[in-house]
Amino acid sequence: MAQDGDMSLFNAVIKPFRRVCNKDPPKDKLSSDTTLNFSDSNQSLKDGLNNLLSGKRKSSISMNDVSTPEKRVRTDSDSTPTAPPSPWETKRLKIDLIAAKAQITKLESRINHQHTICKEMQILFEEEKGSLVEQHKRDERALSDMEDRLQLIRRREQELKDEYNQAIKEHKEHKALWDKEKGDLQKQIADMRDKLLECSVSCKDQLSEMKKDMDELLQALEGSQSEVEMLKTEVTKQTSRAEQCTTLRTQLEKTTFELQSVTNKLKELEYERDSYKDWQQQAKTAQKRLTNMAELEKEVARLRAQERSLRDSICNKLLLEEQVHLLQSRVDALQPVQNELHEAKVKLASLESSLEEWKAAARAHGIDNPRSLSSTLDSALNGQLNATAASSQAQSQLAQLTEEVASMKFERDKATGKLNELLTVRKNQESLIHRLQKRLLLVTRERDSYRQQLDCYEKELTVTLCGEPGAGSAALLSARVEQLEKALQGYRDLLATHDQTAHTKLVETLRAESSKWREEAETLKRDVAKLRAQRDQLHANLERIGAQSQTKVLHLANNPAAEAQKQITAELEAAQEELKQLKATLRDGINVSRACPEEVQQLKQQLESSRIKLKRLKEEFTSSAQEYRNVCYMLLGYKIDRTGHKNYRISNMYAESSEEYLSFTLDDDGIEMVHTDYSSTLGELVELHLHQHRSIPLFLSALTMELFTRTTMQQVQ
Amino acid sequence: MSQQQTKNCITLRGSAQIICEYLKFAINSVLFQRGLYPPETFKAEQQYGITLLISEDAEIKSFLTNLLTQSEEWIVNKKVSKLSLVILNVANKEVLECWDFNVQYEDGDVALSKEKNETVGSKDLKKIQQEIRDVMLQVAATISYLPFLDCRCSFDVLVHAKTDCDVPEMWAEAKPISIANAQNVQLKNFSTSLHKMETVVSYKLAD
Repeated sequence: MAQDGDMSLFNAVIKPFRRVCNKDPPKDKLSSDTTLNFSDSNQSLKDGLNNLLSGKRKSSISMNDVSTPEKRVRTDSDSTPTAPPSPWETKRLKIDLIAAKAQITKLESRINHQHTICKEMQILFEEEKGSLVEQHKRDERALSDMEDRLQLIRRREQELKDEYNQAIKEHKEHKALWDKEKGDLQKQIADMRDKLLECSVSCKDQLSEMKKDMDELLQALEGSQSEVEMLKTEVTKQTSRAEQCTTLRTQLEKTTFELQSVTNKLKELEYERDSYKDWQQQAKTAQKRLTNMAELEKEVARLRAQERSLRDSICNKLLLEEQVHLLQSRVDALQPVQNELHEAKVKLASLESSLEEWKAAARAHGIDNPRSLSSTLDSALNGQLNATAASSQAQSQLAQLTEEVASMKFERDKATGKLNELLTVRKNQESLIHRLQKRLLLVTRERDSYRQQLDCYEKELTVTLCGEPGAGSAALLSARVEQLEKALQGYRDLLATHDQTAHTKLVETLRAESSKWREEAETLKRDVAKLRAQRDQLHANLERIGAQSQTKVLHLANNPAAEAQKQITAELEAAQEELKQLKATLRDGINVSRACPEEVQQLKQQLESSRIKLKRLKEEFTSSAQEYRNVCYMLLGYKIDRTGHKNYRISNMYAESSEEYLSFTLDDDGIEMVHTDYSSTLGELVELHLHQHRSIPLFLSALTMELFTRTTMQQVQ
Repeated sequence: MSQQQTKNCITLRGSAQIICEYLKFAINSVLFQRGLYPPETFKAEQQYGITLLISEDAEIKSFLTNLLTQSEEWIVNKKVSKLSLVILNVANKEVLECWDFNVQYEDGDVALSKEKNETVGSKDLKKIQQEIRDVMLQVAATISYLPFLDCRCSFDVLVHAKTDCDVPEMWAEAKPISIANAQNVQLKNFSTSLHKMETVVSYKLAD
């Protein structure tokens, strides 16, 4: 379709060219030649156009050429007439000229016209050319598009070709496969045909067999049908018989039912007979028991005797217990007495021994009689008194001595005070001595210096004396010497005044004293050192106390001491608890163990044995009582219950319900029947036997009889 | 300068640690020597060049660590003046023995402190340990004259702190103790040059 479209468009474009250039051979096919031809056609078109234009020019030029010769001709004609023109001729010539001129103008106008036409045509042609060029361009574009498409198409074609080739290959392969399959299938078909043939043959055989069978079966069917008919007839016969049988069966059932009822009756009768036998047996046993009654009574008597003896024994036991209790109380009362006795004995023994000792002591002192002992004792006491007096004296003396000691101490203190004073004095004196010594030293030094000075002066004097001594100076010197000697003398006097020996003595005494004082001072220094140490210690203590007040004491809350404390308190509590418990148990134990444990044990054992006895007795009693009751019930036909104090309820063996009972009360006079619901129904019997015969046993046996007859009647019925 | 740098330098904290270590060993030693706890609960340990016995009991251990960590803080802050190990009779709370460890604060090496901007001491550690060893040996020797403890005893450690000191958690204020008819024995002192430790044992003189 696209190709056709393109082709039509192409043809439409091409047509005008074809019209223009008919010379070009018509081209039907699209090929590269066409493009080449286009250029040719363009060329030819252009040529055409040029030809056309040149043609016109040629035509115009030819026309000019046509006219020009004419002119030339005229010119030739003008030049040729050589004879003078006649007026007419001139006139004609003039007319011709004018005409010619007119024609020329005409022709010129025509030429102009032609020129304008030509120009128009040129314009037209140019326009057409532009349009054609545009068209050409468009065509070229279209052509390029077409080429692209063509290439695309070619590619597609190539692809399609490849695909085609592939498809062909595949086709060939498939064909080969299919051929193979075909071969196989054909083989299979052949096999199948063979099989089919075989099958058909076998089927035919089977069919024949089946037909045979069918025939046989049909025959058998026919036979069986005949048999069926026979059987039907028999069935009809049998049904009739069955009906007869059912009737017979109903009859049989009836008879069997009757039989059952009869057997039931028989069984009842047998049961009655058995019960009768039982009764007989019971009667026999009752008789036997009645015979045994005497033995039983004996036994009862024996048991009663036993019981009595047991009661007696119990009473005895109680008595014994009381006695034991009494004896125990007595023993309890007697125990302290015994203890006292023991103590007294012990005391006695000790006293005797002490007495013996006393006696022995007395003997040792050579005293046999108590009197002599007393005398000796008196003498001893007197001696003691004397001794005490002496001791008191001694004590008074001691007091005196202590007082003396105190006074001595006081004196000593005084002396020490004096000593201190003396010490101060000594110190003063020592200082004085010291000063004096110093002064002495000073004085001796002064003296020495003066001596030196003197020596010097003497030397000078000798020198001056030896040299050129002046009379005046010598006089001066001598005066000085004199003075100095005087001073010396003065000093000597002063020294003499200080008595040497006395002074030395005094010094010695003072020295002795000072040494003494020194010793004392040393001892005191020691004391002081001791006291200082004590003071320091006390200061330290004081400081510690002060520090304690300044500091606060901290410790960890859960320290080992606190924990140990806690533990010990806990232990203490536990121990106290245990103690309490033990005390409690002890108290209980005292209560228990106050009585003699062996006796208690014995009593307990007795109690246990008596309990066991009692239990056994009770068991025996209950069993015998039960037996007795049963026997009474069996023999007399009445069950007697004691409902309260002196109230008895009796119910008959043959009573219809437990509601039917009579009650009696025991009076001082005898026994009386109490009114009950049941007794009110027995008006006749009450009237007859109680009011008339006044006999309760009779009434009861009559009631028994009546009830027995009633129940037996019922049973019989 | 270089000589000074090589010198031993003990800080306040380090000194407090030395003190607390001494306290630990001293308290353990006293507990062992005085037979407050069975000897099999103690383990031998080498310290200060001698064998000392340290309790293996978990309660004592935890008590001492609690006590000494807090005490170290206090010693660093100069709050404590004395620690007293009190041995008392559990039955009647009577104080039988008191080991006072008096702590005194010293200035240390002033020049070095100025240089370091921190109070430090410059005492040789070996010398300190030597001193401590001497004290420990004395403590061990006290058993010869201390009276025999024949009752069930327990111990407590009282810290004599300044009154402005806060009472931390698990701590409580206690009453100061006093021993009637007491005999004091001053043991040797030792000093870290920042702290001086004075050990005094006072015990009840036997009647």
